[in-house]
Amino acid sequence: MSKPVTIIMIEDDEGHARLIERNIRRSGINNEIVPFTDGTAAVNYLFGSDGTGVHHGSQALLILLDLNLPDMTGIDILRRVKENKYLKCAPVVVLTTTDDSQEIKRCYELGCNVYITKPVNYESFANAIRQLGLFFSVIQVPRSAP
Amino acid sequence: MTPDATRQGAIGQILLLAAGLVVLTVISAGSVYLVNQAREDAKWVVHTVEVENQISLTQLQMRRAESAQRGYITTLLPDFLTDFDKAASELTPDLMRLRQLTSDNPVQGHLLDEMIPLCNQRIEEFRNTIALARAEHVDDAARIIREGIGRDAMSHIDDLARQMLAEEDHLFAQRTASADRTQSLAASMTGVGSGLVVLLAGISIFLVRRSARARDEAEAQLRDNNLNLEATVDARTADLREANEEIQRFAYIVSHDLRSPLVNIMGFTSELEELRTDIFRRIAALGQASASPVAPVAHEVEPILEGEDRQLSQDFTEALGFIKSSIAKMDRLISAILNLTREGRREFEPVKIDTRELIESIVATVAHQAAEAEAQIRIEPLPAVISDRLALEQIFSNLIDNALKYLKPGVPGDIAIRGRTKLGFAIFEIADNGRGIDAKDHQRIFDLFRRAGEQNRPGQGIGLAHVRALVRRLGGTMSVSSELHNGSTFTITLPIAWTTSNRNRDT
Repeated sequence: MSKPVTIIMIEDDEGHARLIERNIRRSGINNEIVPFTDGTAAVNYLFGSDGTGVHHGSQALLILLDLNLPDMTGIDILRRVKENKYLKCAPVVVLTTTDDSQEIKRCYELGCNVYITKPVNYESFANAIRQLGLFFSVIQVPRSAP
Repeated sequence: MTPDATRQGAIGQILLLAAGLVVLTVISAGSVYLVNQAREDAKWVVHTVEVENQISLTQLQMRRAESAQRGYITTLLPDFLTDFDKAASELTPDLMRLRQLTSDNPVQGHLLDEMIPLCNQRIEEFRNTIALARAEHVDDAARIIREGIGRDAMSHIDDLARQMLAEEDHLFAQRTASADRTQSLAASMTGVGSGLVVLLAGISIFLVRRSARARDEAEAQLRDNNLNLEATVDARTADLREANEEIQRFAYIVSHDLRSPLVNIMGFTSELEELRTDIFRRIAALGQASASPVAPVAHEVEPILEGEDRQLSQDFTEALGFIKSSIAKMDRLISAILNLTREGRREFEPVKIDTRELIESIVATVAHQAAEAEAQIRIEPLPAVISDRLALEQIFSNLIDNALKYLKPGVPGDIAIRGRTKLGFAIFEIADNGRGIDAKDHQRIFDLFRRAGEQNRPGQGIGLAHVRALVRRLGGTMSVSSELHNGSTFTITLPIAWTTSNRNRDT
């Protein structure tokens, strides 16, 4: 049995964070969710005080990322995660309001695994999150390389 | 240089040229006159010489006659007689000739009048002596000669001839002087005239150079002004572009940031809806429990509510419904703004477009709607243009969609797409026989989120605003002519050959 996956949620809007969490829970996922409301705190957590991210070496992570953060853009976090040798295997789900095709293309180019646009229509939003929950339950998140 | 100064300069030039022309004319006329004068003078000089010559000739004939007479009387040889006759016969014509030549001069005429009878007298004397000699009276003849009869007459003739020669010499001197004067006058006139012409030419050259310099300065000034103007225009264009980009960014960010709270509002409204179901189920359960405590509550069915509770539930549902529909509408508006700003930021790419083919493909995609509306779409020959393909597709499909959407119910639709060219522009017309647009709405329909007429068709009021923005970006204009109930005609004017340089960079 692999170690349970920790979900890192980087989302500045507390309402969105609450809705995401609720819908994840509703789809029956009980993994630990670590929420961050700004980029700096999330980066500090992910990469640690030495900035290497080595302390997550033995941990399986899944990152939910909003692109519009108050102190930095989610793209920067995405790039840094995918450039880090300990974190690059962690799946990143970009979950944001931006539906600009250029932006989407850029995220995939940087190594994002799933890109979800937050729809205003709540039903589709809830559905997307629940499907994401199903996705979480079936995917195997590798433990980061030591 | 001011216009007044320019005019003065021009007048000065004209006056100079006129003065030069006058001087040249005077010189020419003077030269012609003086040359004639000189010729006249020369003629008179020659005439004088001729007269002198003639006088000498006359004297010579006299002398010849005399010597022939002496010879004959001395020798009685007939040869001398022949000589005498010859000299005597030539004397008269010589005298006649002399008279003719001196007919202009009364002094000479007078002297000649005196001389001719004397000559005739002398010749007569000679003849008498010769006649005496012939008649064997040689001694008589010799005596006559010895006595010197007629010597006085002879010396008188010589005297007269000398007077005539003196007169002619005097005339000769006079005429030569006159000829010299005329020549020096001609020379000085030519000299002074040439000097004047050279002076005028000098002034003219000076003036021309001065005006050329002034013109060069003005040209340089003009060039500077042009450069300044271009720089100013560039600066303004850059400002405008910046302002436009600012607006685009602003619209993008605002619409984006508006979406975030909207997601929350929608999400928690839906959560509220869920809660509402739970709350009213509970109320129903409580109500039923108070009525009959044993009745079980079915979880899956809508709870049955009574009286005030029922009213509350309905109000709750109504409020939530309004909130949700408003959110949906707001979302559509935000999306529309986002799409417009996205369109505004898209780079246009000019390519050659067969407009007819493009519109045929649009018509093919709306064939189903056209069949439903019993509408026919006629495409007339259209000019090809160089423009952005996607933009043109959006323009025409919006207009054709509108034409199909707003047909008059019950009347078969007739939509015509026409085109022509004029002065570098292609003019397209999309005409329908639909319900038309009231004149007061002709401007309004192009505004964002504004619509006209009966609101019985779905739509956001975006299409025409979008079309007009596209047409403007493509360097064109669009207008509508329509009457309520009588169809509409949308006219689009686009440059035949659009290039990225003229508008794309500014928008």
